[in-house]
Amino acid sequence: MSKLKIMSAAVLSLSLLLAGCGNSAKESQQSEQKKTASSEVKITFLNSKGEIQAQLEEAAKEFSKENPGTTLEVIPAAAGQSPFEKVTSMYASGNAPTIAMLDPGDVKKFADKALDLSKEKWVNDAIDGSLDDAKTEDGKILAFPFAVEGYGLIYNKAVLDKAVGGNFDPASIKTRKDLAELIGKIQKTGVASNLLSPMDWSLGAHYLTIGYSVQSNKFEEVEAFLTNLKEGKEDLTKNEKLNGLLDTFDLLKENNINKKDPMSGTYEQGPELLGKGKVGLWFMGNWAWPQIKGFDTTNGNYGFLPVPISDNPDDYGNSQISVGVTKRLIIDKEQNSPEQQAAAKKFLEWLVYNEKGQDFLVNKANIIPAFKNITLEPQDPLAKSIKAYMNNNKTLRSMVTLPPDHWSQVGAFMQQYLDNKIDRKQLLKQIEGYWKSQQ
Amino acid sequence: MSSQKFFDKLKIQLLFSGPTLFAFFTVVILPFLYGIYLTFTNWDGVSTSHSFVGMKNYLAVLDDTAFWTSLYKTMKYVLLTVILINVVGFFLAYMLTTEIRGKNLFRAGFFTPNLIGGIILGFLWQFIFSNVLVYIGEHFKIGIFSSSWLADPDKAFWTLVIVTTWQYSGYMMVIYIAGLMNIPKELLEAASIDGANAFVRLRKIILPLMVPSFIVCVFLSLQRGFMVYDLNIALTNGGPYKSTQLVSMYVYQKAFLSQKYGAGQAEAFVLFLIVAIVTLIQVYVSKKREVEA
Repeated sequence: MSKLKIMSAAVLSLSLLLAGCGNSAKESQQSEQKKTASSEVKITFLNSKGEIQAQLEEAAKEFSKENPGTTLEVIPAAAGQSPFEKVTSMYASGNAPTIAMLDPGDVKKFADKALDLSKEKWVNDAIDGSLDDAKTEDGKILAFPFAVEGYGLIYNKAVLDKAVGGNFDPASIKTRKDLAELIGKIQKTGVASNLLSPMDWSLGAHYLTIGYSVQSNKFEEVEAFLTNLKEGKEDLTKNEKLNGLLDTFDLLKENNINKKDPMSGTYEQGPELLGKGKVGLWFMGNWAWPQIKGFDTTNGNYGFLPVPISDNPDDYGNSQISVGVTKRLIIDKEQNSPEQQAAAKKFLEWLVYNEKGQDFLVNKANIIPAFKNITLEPQDPLAKSIKAYMNNNKTLRSMVTLPPDHWSQVGAFMQQYLDNKIDRKQLLKQIEGYWKSQQ
Repeated sequence: MSSQKFFDKLKIQLLFSGPTLFAFFTVVILPFLYGIYLTFTNWDGVSTSHSFVGMKNYLAVLDDTAFWTSLYKTMKYVLLTVILINVVGFFLAYMLTTEIRGKNLFRAGFFTPNLIGGIILGFLWQFIFSNVLVYIGEHFKIGIFSSSWLADPDKAFWTLVIVTTWQYSGYMMVIYIAGLMNIPKELLEAASIDGANAFVRLRKIILPLMVPSFIVCVFLSLQRGFMVYDLNIALTNGGPYKSTQLVSMYVYQKAFLSQKYGAGQAEAFVLFLIVAIVTLIQVYVSKKREVEA
């Protein structure tokens, strides 16, 4: 008798459970049908630039207002999580975002999932070279260039004006010797000359890769250099340009404000020291502006200096700063409906050609767009400085399509070098070893 | 008749354990088998196709010195934390089962760290090690604290050990307290009448009777030590320069950062085997030492 009771109770609860599931499934089906009936399109945007999340959400609202029936949801990728990681898990759960913001090096891995964008209007307005690493061999364009970023030695003009006794001219620094003199002058005013932040991404992905870019002003030759590295045919200890870059690194290391304990620095330390004028130079990129602004004491007088690699002012790299497309957008064609894909295309177009879209990019999100037709001037001094280098054609191409773990592995080698745990030769041998393991 | 009975039993069995079995099968067993399958491929985590590479990933594991270094570091970390957690945990439990005042307050206090997630703990202690201690060190001229422990490879390793011990000793303390309370009072009383002092009582009666608790606690701390990831990533993030990258973090980065899914999965499987062997040996060996009161 009691057994029967237990059984019936269990069966009852089980059936309740099942009924519950069934109901909700039906409901969601119905709501989906409703959506399609009123031709509502909902698209999603995976944002991997955390600092512009709020601005993007604003832009999404604007976009929906102008395009009734289309809603855009912005999904943030967690800080410190690589967009690749997030997107792959979203694909695996059958829930791929309509638009995904990826690092340029990952775009090609989505070749069979990304919509071909080569027929879009903005393709013709994109600045030269900004689509190169999103092109496939058969002429498809897989991704939209979302943001251009650049990096170099950021200077605080107030500190440098005082050091040189007058108006500092960034064009006056053309060689390592010039930089060394400048550093000496800054130190004479009683201020530390420079900060070298120890983050692996800064040292591995940004500083060291200048050494790859300056190998040649033709990108094919840089690529050939990397292929040789992979095959173990390059002897880095004899590579003059990379060694020149590391000589400059030694100079910066020697005069680093954190010299006693170089690994203790954090990213947060940089904007404060530079903004308050406690150092004259900081190796970083234009993304640091919002943080620098918080500590600014010079009315926004900042700009970039190139990282010199030799004492010859004419060498390639001595008057150029590294600039590149650092974020790209792909549209998914595998798990999103044609209507969603069309809406996503519309959004990209909106960014490039609509006044409000342009306003969002340049003024709200502080992004340097990769499009010739956008004439809005960037508001912040660092973006302005990069724009100026771009207008004068004084740019190095940023190395954005390196192997995905390059920044982390090579960054760790650079940190050891910064902390004097290994010498130059060991550093270069380790970098060679890393590349050989990439075959 | 008997087969009828068997089916009846099976029905009841399935009714109650079926849902759990189903869940266990779909979320543990299936991914586990699929993971083993992936170790024989060169999948990068996203592409729709992948090809078989045979044992190549396992051979790569043997060649990957960085993996073995991080495994060695993990072994060192596990050894140190297992000893420290259990010594501290047992000591706390022993103290808090004697007649001291406010022992419930102390028990709650020591247990609290265990309620905070590893990520938050990591950030908390990161602040303590790189700001608070440095400030104190500079202020009072204490050499050892004057620079951040997290910036030095050896000291950064010790920060992991210290924080882990702090986090888990309270948890183990609770298990030990339960064990200590279960020791029959009359045994201890009889022993003290026979003239055994506190130390002898501890060695001859309490410790042997506590073996089941030790088995559980050592097992838990072993397994947690091998699998530690959240604290590692939040406190040191493997730094400085990957010197404190423990094996879970290494494997994760291999699969998702280097995008070598097959190789990472193969390393994870090797890790699984090692952890399984170590914990099984531990349980087997210590089971033999169990005694009845």
